[in-house]
Amino acid sequence: MQTTIKLTVNGRARTVEVDSRMILADMLRDQLRLTGTHIGCGTGNCGACTVMLDGRTVKSCCVLAADADGADVLTVEGLYTSPDDLHPIQQAFIANQGLQCGYCTPGMILSAKQLLDANPDPTEDEIRHGISGNLCRCTGYHFIVESIQDAARVLRGEASAPSASITGLPASPATDVAG
Amino acid sequence: MKQVGRRVTGLTNTQLAAGKGTFVNDVVLPDMAFLAFLRSPYAHARIRSVDISAAMARPGVIKVLTGEDAYRDLRPIPEAWNTREIGAKGVLWYPIVKDRVRYVGEVVAAVVAEDRWTAAAALDDIEVDYEELPVVTDPIKAMEPGADLVEPAWGDNLLITRDWIAGDVDAALAGADRVVTGTVRSNRITGVSIEGRGCVAQWDAFARKLTFWESTQNPHPLRSFLAETLNMSENSIHVIQPHVGGGFGLKQPPFQEEPVVAHAAMVTGRPVKWIEERAENFMATGHSRDTRFEYTVGFNADGRVHGLRIKVIADVGAPTALLGWGQSFVTGYSLPGGYDIPDTNVQLYVVVTNKCPWNAYRGFGKDAQSFVMDRIMDHVARETGLDRTAIRYANFIRPDDFPHSQPSGAILDSGNYQGALDKLLKKIDYAGFRALQAQAAAEGRRIGLGLGQELTPEGCAMPGALMISAYDGATVRVAPSGEVTILTGVTSPGCGNETAFAQIAADVLGCKLETIRVIQGDTELCPYGLGNYSSRGTMYGGSATQLAAQDLRNKLAEVAASMLEAAPADLEAADGTFFVQGSPDRSVAFNAVVNQVYRHTFGKHAEGVEPGLESTRYFRMGNIYHQPETQGRFSNYPAWPFGSSAVVVEVDPQTGMVKVLEYTLVEDAGTVINPLLVDANLHGAITQGIGSAMYENISYDENGQLQTATLMDYTIPTAIEMPMFSIEHQETPSPFTPLGMKGAGESGLGSTLGALCGAIEDAFPELDLRITDLPLTPNRVWQSLRTAPRKDGSGFGPSPSATGAARPAVAGAVEAIR
Amino acid sequence: MITAELQFHRPGSVAEALELLARHGDDAKILGGGMSLVPTMTLGLARPEIVISLNHITELRVIAEDAAAGTLRIGGTARHNDVIASPLVARHAPLLADAARHIGDMQVRNRGTIGGSVAHADPAADYLPALVALDASVVVRSTRGERVIPAAEFFIDVMATALAPDELIAEIRVPSQGTARGAYRRLTRVEGSFAIVNAAALVRPAGSGASVVAIGGVAGAPVAVDASTAVSAGLTGSALAAFEDAVRAACPEPFEDLNGDAVYRREMAVIHARRALLAAAGRAAAGVTV
Repeated sequence: MQTTIKLTVNGRARTVEVDSRMILADMLRDQLRLTGTHIGCGTGNCGACTVMLDGRTVKSCCVLAADADGADVLTVEGLYTSPDDLHPIQQAFIANQGLQCGYCTPGMILSAKQLLDANPDPTEDEIRHGISGNLCRCTGYHFIVESIQDAARVLRGEASAPSASITGLPASPATDVAG
Repeated sequence: MKQVGRRVTGLTNTQLAAGKGTFVNDVVLPDMAFLAFLRSPYAHARIRSVDISAAMARPGVIKVLTGEDAYRDLRPIPEAWNTREIGAKGVLWYPIVKDRVRYVGEVVAAVVAEDRWTAAAALDDIEVDYEELPVVTDPIKAMEPGADLVEPAWGDNLLITRDWIAGDVDAALAGADRVVTGTVRSNRITGVSIEGRGCVAQWDAFARKLTFWESTQNPHPLRSFLAETLNMSENSIHVIQPHVGGGFGLKQPPFQEEPVVAHAAMVTGRPVKWIEERAENFMATGHSRDTRFEYTVGFNADGRVHGLRIKVIADVGAPTALLGWGQSFVTGYSLPGGYDIPDTNVQLYVVVTNKCPWNAYRGFGKDAQSFVMDRIMDHVARETGLDRTAIRYANFIRPDDFPHSQPSGAILDSGNYQGALDKLLKKIDYAGFRALQAQAAAEGRRIGLGLGQELTPEGCAMPGALMISAYDGATVRVAPSGEVTILTGVTSPGCGNETAFAQIAADVLGCKLETIRVIQGDTELCPYGLGNYSSRGTMYGGSATQLAAQDLRNKLAEVAASMLEAAPADLEAADGTFFVQGSPDRSVAFNAVVNQVYRHTFGKHAEGVEPGLESTRYFRMGNIYHQPETQGRFSNYPAWPFGSSAVVVEVDPQTGMVKVLEYTLVEDAGTVINPLLVDANLHGAITQGIGSAMYENISYDENGQLQTATLMDYTIPTAIEMPMFSIEHQETPSPFTPLGMKGAGESGLGSTLGALCGAIEDAFPELDLRITDLPLTPNRVWQSLRTAPRKDGSGFGPSPSATGAARPAVAGAVEAIR
Repeated sequence: MITAELQFHRPGSVAEALELLARHGDDAKILGGGMSLVPTMTLGLARPEIVISLNHITELRVIAEDAAAGTLRIGGTARHNDVIASPLVARHAPLLADAARHIGDMQVRNRGTIGGSVAHADPAADYLPALVALDASVVVRSTRGERVIPAAEFFIDVMATALAPDELIAEIRVPSQGTARGAYRRLTRVEGSFAIVNAAALVRPAGSGASVVAIGGVAGAPVAVDASTAVSAGLTGSALAAFEDAVRAACPEPFEDLNGDAVYRREMAVIHARRALLAAAGRAAAGVTV
């Protein structure tokens, strides 16, 4: 069954025709081509599909797209307008090596945002609880925790924006075929 | 500025933090169709018939492929590890099974449809008539005479057995002061990259060209495997590796799914995409480490081990073309770890069962080797009453005893195990721990410290194996504008070797780091290479990059020398400038030198210089011996990193819950190119080690049904379970790589297992507590605690004062029980 | 991936939802936060033909107090984080917020609903023992009318409840804790997993009703054990031991699964019941308002 939904995604009003079986993550990825939202398990465990729905993080594999009618959705792509104005949390992840393969990263960053929105000066324990819904298999969370601590300092105005030790050209797969 | 040794952040960070990577599921092609696999629901069954008529009739279904198609149109999947060459049994494994399924998850059919929903829904339309066959799940029973067989043609369930003998074990044991025996088990686990597998195939019938995108670690070997299975020429296949969302060994080909997706694209004329579901990942991508060890160890009162016999029984699941079973071989091969035990007998039994086959996973059997050796060393310490460190010091291979030959024929290149343990004990204030423990005990808390030593051979080269060898290639190019491009045969599924290559090339060329771009994972752009496994990326790719960059450096130095009227040997290069040693003012810009090569090819300074600024070089590793000597032994691991770790845990005696409080690792993988990224890798490896030892377990029931097919059942650690890590490096360089690196991708994992067991035991000094089995579930720890005899003979289990049972139920105290 | 075709409805009112339920009954599933239902559908374990979302009915998400009756009324679609953040819950049923804080993770607490958790009735769900200990009731509604079902009767067995196919959970009604003090304890392998065993204790001051510990994860439905005698005896040796024996007796055949065998589960039920009880008693003795 097809159904039409109207929602706001990253500040932009969208009208989307969706199959009623479709999960929100698929709609964002396949229909809006916002492929920064990743899918890792489909059962609400890994958190790679985390987006913000009406200002709160949710796992978009557990939300039917049809149920997002009227919602205000923020994905990782909504955190910036260009590579030069990434969100301070993203900058902190880059500067503190808070990522490796990058698959869990967009969801992790949105969980960090949710945490810091509500709690600008979290303890290490609060950070760990704040991101416990996002599984990372590469980093052991160590540099992620430090990235969030760093981002918190910047957002509190106690430190200037973090900067990576170098700004290199991106290493990339030879061909990008994001359709 | 010298770049090697700097904590440079990853070159892919910005792209990935923005969510702008291109992973395989982001590859979208016009007119793309979707494929779904029907997998066996039985652990062992004969297929009587497959009826696809209902599936074909479903609107939107384009094609259904079965075993008939595979056996007619495809060839068997080539083996990743050349089993026959080392005397192991093998099977012909087709991309789709026709007659008999041997584990839950083996591919029985595939549906290609217009969309993912239809493809998945049509799986239910396929009628397969199965006749259930006897199921083999217990590796010990599987070795008994008359056991049911996984492969009836074999006559038994043993894929390979192997004895590695050094010295005279019987005599050594007879002469030892004491002899003890023990049995320990490491559990069945899997890697769980957060991105599963997936591929997209596109066939151009007119150009006769297959383009294949896959989340793989090994694009070039995959090309060969596809060519062989599809029976087509290799130069008709173009493999592209997009960003890979974690590999950890499990994305090494050849799988059943790859040729099926490619074949589907060829027969339908449509681009075809398959994206693995998490449940498929658990049932078919591969398991590892399910091993039982039975040991007999002799030792003297001084803690020196004289005589060690270890029987290694590995349950590797069903035999296929995957290389995973080789992990059991490496476990046996790398025993007795970092210890000098001249009289050693290792007996390896590799048993097949009706379970998902093993596939490569970080650690690759070295983890299990480190685990059993740590358990043995702790056992000897308990029996002798000596400190656990004393036993290790007494038995370590000495720093002046390298190269060192092991019973397997393995030749250890270099190491300083004492040095690493020294550093560790100092870093954690080992001597001070007892005071902390006593203080915790006074507060009613049980904490314990465990030690782990890991020997992690890297850079594997298997005789006759295409994918597994000790070389790799790199191309370094300088464009007319002066920017540098590096193309490598190794790949980076998130481990950061691309950043290391840029650092290495920047130092050799003297160019600026930020002018370097790295390209990997494309068989038509990159030099031939074997991809990512066995911690080889920086060791081989980095060394090849260095060789290629040196070629260009030599050429540029010649031109620069002419420009500066100096001898090439007197020049230095750094930060984009060539200058005369000792006279930095006599300098010329890197780009100006490049300009001479490209635009003044026939001018004064480039006279006699071969045009072009591009070099492709291959690095060939030393310390590999493939011509077998008398016992048929060979040395296939050239680099031997070592690590020494300490963990502090708190155990709740009432529940068996274990919490990791502190984790410290001293790692020696030779020269460190990028300490930041090596630390990042180590953090991940430690976490995977702790996860596998404490929270993760693949479980089958007696019918061979997988009981852990979701992340709800197979629980990997969250941030809450992990502590911050403390890492220190010792650098004992490899004598065989130009910069001295040994490979650090797997380091950090192997020492977690034994360290955790030892820490739990250490938390209960009043008990003769023996932790023998992984994983360390609360139930199992609790059971071990309550049945452990007290050393004073007063009964079993932790002394009551430590259990909290005697706590007064007063207001102030009760809240502390949390 | 959800492969079965389905009809999706997002009614804007309870009346509309009840009409849909009356019409479709057995073929329909109610969607709350979706934390259990959607993964279950993705895994193919549930294949409803019709899904009725309650997420667009604002009246169902209200948390209110009924001062006259001394009860707290939590709408069926109140999110777990609504419960945790609610000053009314903090005032009347802090034990419930205590339990809710342990549910899943931040994303799950943001989206998951109390009604969804109660309807799903996983035997180890965090809310269940707390609701039983608090003597809460589940208010269910259909076009046939309203039923108020005590929690102890609502939960029947593993994922089986007293909810009829045409009913939805409109409200969770919780008598105010008043001067009673509660505590919640759970055992789990990793954070975010369902508990292996959990226990919610409510200690009432002398003369104001029974003290009780409800235990989850050992049977199909929460097991309640009276702790009044142990509490009035000051939770000392023999009274506490008698309470622990009562817990053991109340868990004759605990579940066995990969996380724990029956013997372990029973002993963990005892340990967590005792810990919850001692913590609640400690709060009561200390006059802590949580």
